[in-house]
Amino acid sequence: MTFLNAALVAGTAALSIPIIIHLFHKSRFKVVKWGAMHLLEMVIRTNQRRIRMEQWILLAIRCAIPALLAFAMARPIWQGSSRLLGDARASTVVLLDNSYSMDAARAGAANFSLAKDNVQQLIAGMQSKSEVHVVLMGQGGHGLLDAPTYDLSRITQVLGKTSAGYGTARVPQALDFAAGSLETMHEPVRQLVMLTDFQRVSFDPVEDKLITAALDRISKQAIPASVTFWDVGQDVKENIAIESLDFSKLMVGVGQKIQIRANLRNFGAANHQDLRVTLKVDGKDKGASQVALGPNSKAQVLFTQSFETAGSHVVEISTEPDALAADNSILASIPVRDRIPVLLVDGAPGDTSDDIKSETGYLQIALSPFMAGKVEQADLLQTRVIPAEGLTQKALSESQLVVLANIRRLGDDQLKALEDFVRTGGGLLVFPGDKTDTAWWNGAFSKLAPLPLGGIAGDLKEGAPSMGITSQRFDNPALELFNDPRNGSMNEAALKVWFRMRPPEKTGGALDPVVLARLDSGDPFLAEKPFGEGRVIACATAADADWSNLPARPFFLPLTQRLCVYLASNVYPPRNLEVGQQLISFLPTDAAGKKALLTGPDGVPVEVPVVKKETRGVVEYGPIFNPGLYTLVPPGGAAIHYVFNADRRESDLSRLTEQEINDLAKSHKVPVVRSLEEYKQLEHRNRFGTELWKWFLWALLAFCFLELILQRFFTRRRTKLPVKPLSASDLVGRNG
Amino acid sequence: MSHVSDFLAPADLQRISNLQVLARQVVEGFTTGLHRSPHKGFSVEFKQHRQYVPGDEIRRIDWRVFGRSDRYYIREYEEETNLRSTLIVDRSGSMAYGGGVPGKVSKFDYATRLAACLSYLMLQQSDGVGLVTFDTKIRRYIPVRSRVSHLRVILDELDQSKPGEDTELGRVFHDLVPMLHRRGLLVIISDCFGEVANFLKALAHFRHARHEIIVFQIWDRDELDFPFKGWTQFECLEKAGLKHMIDPVMLRQAYMENLERFRSELTLGCRRHKVDLVPFCTDEPYSNALAAYLSRRLAR
Repeated sequence: MTFLNAALVAGTAALSIPIIIHLFHKSRFKVVKWGAMHLLEMVIRTNQRRIRMEQWILLAIRCAIPALLAFAMARPIWQGSSRLLGDARASTVVLLDNSYSMDAARAGAANFSLAKDNVQQLIAGMQSKSEVHVVLMGQGGHGLLDAPTYDLSRITQVLGKTSAGYGTARVPQALDFAAGSLETMHEPVRQLVMLTDFQRVSFDPVEDKLITAALDRISKQAIPASVTFWDVGQDVKENIAIESLDFSKLMVGVGQKIQIRANLRNFGAANHQDLRVTLKVDGKDKGASQVALGPNSKAQVLFTQSFETAGSHVVEISTEPDALAADNSILASIPVRDRIPVLLVDGAPGDTSDDIKSETGYLQIALSPFMAGKVEQADLLQTRVIPAEGLTQKALSESQLVVLANIRRLGDDQLKALEDFVRTGGGLLVFPGDKTDTAWWNGAFSKLAPLPLGGIAGDLKEGAPSMGITSQRFDNPALELFNDPRNGSMNEAALKVWFRMRPPEKTGGALDPVVLARLDSGDPFLAEKPFGEGRVIACATAADADWSNLPARPFFLPLTQRLCVYLASNVYPPRNLEVGQQLISFLPTDAAGKKALLTGPDGVPVEVPVVKKETRGVVEYGPIFNPGLYTLVPPGGAAIHYVFNADRRESDLSRLTEQEINDLAKSHKVPVVRSLEEYKQLEHRNRFGTELWKWFLWALLAFCFLELILQRFFTRRRTKLPVKPLSASDLVGRNG
Repeated sequence: MSHVSDFLAPADLQRISNLQVLARQVVEGFTTGLHRSPHKGFSVEFKQHRQYVPGDEIRRIDWRVFGRSDRYYIREYEEETNLRSTLIVDRSGSMAYGGGVPGKVSKFDYATRLAACLSYLMLQQSDGVGLVTFDTKIRRYIPVRSRVSHLRVILDELDQSKPGEDTELGRVFHDLVPMLHRRGLLVIISDCFGEVANFLKALAHFRHARHEIIVFQIWDRDELDFPFKGWTQFECLEKAGLKHMIDPVMLRQAYMENLERFRSELTLGCRRHKVDLVPFCTDEPYSNALAAYLSRRLAR
């Protein structure tokens, strides 16, 4: 505590005045020779302690009154345990919530624009040579500029162009990022102010410890920053969001139909009977639907769409506008293939090229049914059957997927070429058979083989028992189709003979083989293993009908097709991403060293370099925090679309209550402000302390009243019980 | 009726003139205007006539009746019993309190003047009067006499008495009982300070001896109002060295409660023993005391 008029503190010596008066009065006492001592003595004996206590209390109060007056006039200032900052220059980190819930608007004013205005006024009010870093909270925090700066006008300028909608606010990570920024700043005073709408999903109690840890990191810095929470949220209840899109196919071919299912959710209490949902493909309206969406409920809308041209296409589903525009539409990038070249390597070829009894006969029909039926319709998968000897580097370079069917063994060169093919993103599907050399499989082929082969199980004899495929829930995208029984069931399978694949040895790494499906005996039926950037899937039985009835079952076609598309689609890095992820594109080798043109949602094209990695050119850009459509135009190639969507958890606009916000701040010992004025007052207190003279003046008045009341109380009933003076009536006949 | 001054020598008259004059003024001033004058006397009162029988005194024959009826009749009179009053005056130290104000009467002064007035009044009515002064013990005992000249003895004793010792009301009264052989009226003039229980026991002892009792309790106004302010040292008038330095304002309420308790205990005790308790303040006129006495006298 300090004093503005320190000299007046000496005035507290005035507390001695009541003591002096007391002693003076006591020294000038009267003497009364008293007769009724027996009445007085008893009173003194029984009340002496109480009287002494009361006198001490009154004396203390009387002493406190002049002391309080002197204190009030000295203008004391409370600064707490920290020193006063005064006019010292400050380094300030402004943590600005730019998640898309901040776009929620009420009466035309969005939370984010209000927050932005406050930050701009805050920066405008800073003294010159202040150091500022604005950190945006979306997806864990990133700087508005690359580093803290003293150029306040530049911050204001860039901030003016910033918008919200940057994914989810991740408070602990954002605070951690801010802590890192504070460590790099220079001024002797550090401040951190976090402007957020206190959306409930962003302040999950589970993450409270992480917030504490981040704040601890700040408080343990060499110069700990004063942290302030700034509530800039408005209560907006009604909101409809399109939460996600599901596609019936992993990859679609030209002319093929794909079903697009939009999942809608109403977070508000309003009932929407005819909510209009529209579909746009490449910016053109392609359809519309109406759906009933009750209060706090979900609904789905299904669109069927086909594409006439190969290449990258963009699908957009949108609904009617509401308070939060960011989640009223959702985008998806769909790569449409003209053909996927598949190389079928047949280890037991038939007499003719189209002999169904060959090892790949059924596969060929299943993967290219229209071609097999000589129907003029496009097959996505374009198959080519070759013998084992035909598996060359050239053949591999013309394919995106290789299927090995009952191959006895491959030559070393072939195997190396195949490994290179998979390592660089190619897909490999392996069916063993009666010719398979298990020693080679478990030896030279073990790098690619998901699981080593054990012995052959089952019996081909007539009447021998067959083995089925266990019903289970499938997590793999290639098999999840069969989670819905309407799409067919693998229960119909009956395997006579199969290879026992030994169970995988789990190391906990990402490259561990995974069993996708099992037989009723517990043996693996399908096993997958990542290899480089490609994937290998092995089946436990043969691809033809010699060992099982698989080719004759209805699920064989979708199973093989989806397995192939799944393996082949890995060639292309994902195009539908979440904000915070990196944009990656694989381009032909000849594009390496050149520049690709990337245009984001802001419409400003950016040149990005194409880097040569192994056998191809690669574009890497990001991480990207601004959700929306990104179009990459490679040198001499067609445009590729990438979509970055924000996590739709933010669509639930419910906020912490005011009491919960206060409790949260209290638990972290952080003050909460709700306006610029409040923040300025708080900063003023931090810098110049809190003047206490008003409190001392109130205390002075209170003590004056207290003295008056206590004095009356201690001598209570002094006037209430007057002694009745004796009169003649008392004297005559008083005792009857 | 003989005047009181006839029985007093000039020197004595000078010495006790204050008391005597005061007593006369008060009594005569008080009796003026009363319907029944005390000067008519109570010695004999006619009751009835009866026929003379041999052996009766000749001088008691009513000759007027003989003249009218020619028969001898004897006049019979009812002889009235004279009142035997004993004034018991407290001369303890506490009776010396007079507030320290010059010219103000102390409780003892007031008591002696009251005793003088009562003595004069009683002797005027041919009642017998005695006097007892006491503090821790009986200091002087003057037996009951009904002669007018007895007033001089009483006044002399009252004049010579000075307060100053401690009080032992209970023990003193117990000692006094055997000295009062004949039943009569006991007039106790005291502040009654001390143990109430002992005092009441002593009154009970008197009552057992079939004495009528009237207690004139003398108060000073200060003792009733406790009007003191500022730091004050109270020094005991009865015990030397006993003193207390207090702020009386802080203690006044407790003192008043204690005083009220003391007075009510005393009043209830006296009522229980059929003793008349008449509290008096030194600023009250003496005539009030005489009125109380006569009220009690007429009630007998």
